[in-house]
Amino acid sequence: MSAPSNSFQPDSTDLDRLHSAVKREKADLQPGREPVPMLVIFLGMIVAVIAGGQLGVMTGGYSFNTSNPFNFTAAPDPRPGGGAGAGAADPFQAAMKKGASGYAVCGGCHQGNGMGIPGQFPPLAGSEWVTGGTERLVRVVQHGLVGAITVKGQGYNTPGGMQPFGAAMSSGDLANVLTYIRNSWGNEATMITKEMVEKVRSDEKRAQQWTEADLAPFADKNVPGDVPAGPGATAAPAAK
Amino acid sequence: MQTTPSSADQDLQADNLRRAAIDKSVKGPVLFLFLNGAFWLMASTILGVLAAVKLFSPSFLGDCPVLQFGRLQPTHLNALVYGWGIQAGLGVMLWIMARRSGQELKSGKSLLYVAGVFWNIALTLGLLSILMGGSTSMQWLEMPRWVWPILLASFLVFAWPMVIMFGRAFRPEGFMVSTWYILGACFWFPWIFITANVCLHCLPGLGALGAGINAWYVHGLILLFFAPVAIGSAYYFIPKITGQPIASAELSKLGFWALAVLAGWTGMQTYMGGPLPAWMPSIGALTGTLLLIPVGVVGLNHHLTTLGKHSLVASSPTLRFTFLGSLFYPVTGIVLALLSNYSTGVTLQFTHATYGFQIVAVYGFFSMCVFGAIYYIVPRLAGCEWLSVRLIRNHFWFSTYGIATIVVTSLVAGVQQGGDLNHPEMWDQDFMQLSLNARPYMIARALAWCLITWSNIWFLIHLMLMVAGLGRRSSAPTLLHSAHDDTPHAAHA
Repeated sequence: MSAPSNSFQPDSTDLDRLHSAVKREKADLQPGREPVPMLVIFLGMIVAVIAGGQLGVMTGGYSFNTSNPFNFTAAPDPRPGGGAGAGAADPFQAAMKKGASGYAVCGGCHQGNGMGIPGQFPPLAGSEWVTGGTERLVRVVQHGLVGAITVKGQGYNTPGGMQPFGAAMSSGDLANVLTYIRNSWGNEATMITKEMVEKVRSDEKRAQQWTEADLAPFADKNVPGDVPAGPGATAAPAAK
Repeated sequence: MQTTPSSADQDLQADNLRRAAIDKSVKGPVLFLFLNGAFWLMASTILGVLAAVKLFSPSFLGDCPVLQFGRLQPTHLNALVYGWGIQAGLGVMLWIMARRSGQELKSGKSLLYVAGVFWNIALTLGLLSILMGGSTSMQWLEMPRWVWPILLASFLVFAWPMVIMFGRAFRPEGFMVSTWYILGACFWFPWIFITANVCLHCLPGLGALGAGINAWYVHGLILLFFAPVAIGSAYYFIPKITGQPIASAELSKLGFWALAVLAGWTGMQTYMGGPLPAWMPSIGALTGTLLLIPVGVVGLNHHLTTLGKHSLVASSPTLRFTFLGSLFYPVTGIVLALLSNYSTGVTLQFTHATYGFQIVAVYGFFSMCVFGAIYYIVPRLAGCEWLSVRLIRNHFWFSTYGIATIVVTSLVAGVQQGGDLNHPEMWDQDFMQLSLNARPYMIARALAWCLITWSNIWFLIHLMLMVAGLGRRSSAPTLLHSAHDDTPHAAHA
């Protein structure tokens, strides 16, 4: 690399001059090995003490809800309904809200008003299948239902029946939708929790759809499990 | 060029040739970055003058929306940060990393040019968007959201060969102080840049936290990019020119690791008492104050390295700029501590002092160190010596007085403004009158930017002549002190 650039330079043969800047450089040296002076440690400690004073009460207890360290009571949430904190406190309302959007899957056949279509799809509103034993209701949605059935005194027999929806939905989503249909359009029944759906899923590993006769033993049974306190628990259990 | 100076002439000769080859391998990209950076610096200082004038004379330049303070000021700062700061910083980083690692830039030089061109095009369009009213109104990130991926990719293209060079280098223990900092900057900039941009542009509904992240980014860019590059440069050039080793390897380690650990926690203290969880500003206040330790340690180390060689500060342009720049590092640290801790921050928060901090960090500290590096590097790359001692002196003194004026007036204006706003009953004046009280300081700021503009005009012209190969044809360096003129080899350019 000692050759200078090929491009035209009037005095490019003047190697001494071209490299003079490099030649006059001083050598790099190994750094000194002196220890840190005591004074630095002493002054550093003073700085650390002052810096530490920025913590303490100023951190507001490391709470995400405290922005003013001198006033530890958080102001009420200005959002309508008190924000997410208040909404999350009522599991029944949360389940109804989520279930309403999950119901979009069901509404295609059972209709948005839960009345179904006479002769084809049975209604959910006022249906004893819906407000009755939760064992039967969970199984219908989880595994599907086929063949002739009777709902509110009317006979229904849709070719192919109702498809199993369990595999495609999480147990939480399924529980929310079931809670929703049990408490809409005038229906009033207990909540179905995620734990209940999980219990049915672990009890019953059925591959084909149910028939009305198969389900008869479950008609009046409820899945055991606790229902959270609140509106979802106050409704009288429908299955007696 | 490694540790032991070789006694044999042949070794010295080979060593000289090797360094000359390294210089030659990085010549193009480094000069490209310096020259573009200097152009942006020129633009930024002119915009700085206009923005400062707008503060005390709002009718100046008429009613055109393009030329109002709200658009001039962010353009001024973005040109300073991305146009000058990061570009010139990358140039210095690349040269020092190549030299310090003893590695030539082997390949990919054309990719570096492409990245440099993309950087400048994206920046130009971004700044024009700000002027046309497309600002995102996020501090130092005012350019539209499509700019940052281009800047990031360009930066990574430059950072990659530096990391490779560091990896290939023979690294004796305690010997690579300057390249630690530069390697750090290669990784820290992408980290803070990606984090801030992804959070602010891609996450919806951040609310007040967005402002906090923005402040964190500004502090991160200063402390994790500008500071490491400037310190790395000072750690390289001070020993190189004084011929004395870095005073203490222990202090170097302490200064580096303390900065690396603490710097990323600062920023949120900008919003102390604001609508952020209280512990976030509190941690920022803690680290902003604790940073006095690494700042002081590095300052002490540089002081001890320069000790006994102060005559060289008078003669060597590189050492003079680097000396002043590293003197501004403790100043930057002290201003940061004043802004960060609760006792003084309560007064200085949201005042002109914030601008003073940004300018002392980016201009007083970083840019002065980079100027020093440029005065050393360019003669080696351009193959000629700086033309005029007077131009260098001119650059130095006008810059120094300009920066000092901006920093001092901004801090004093900040104290006055903050004190007035916290105690309006003392003066029985309304908000408007309190703002008007800062007027003399704003006039001083405009004058200071005029001084800096004057210095930069000559710096730019000088640099353009050097890059064009029109410098002095001489083997003697351009030194500032006339006493050395007859003995050029006694000191160092």
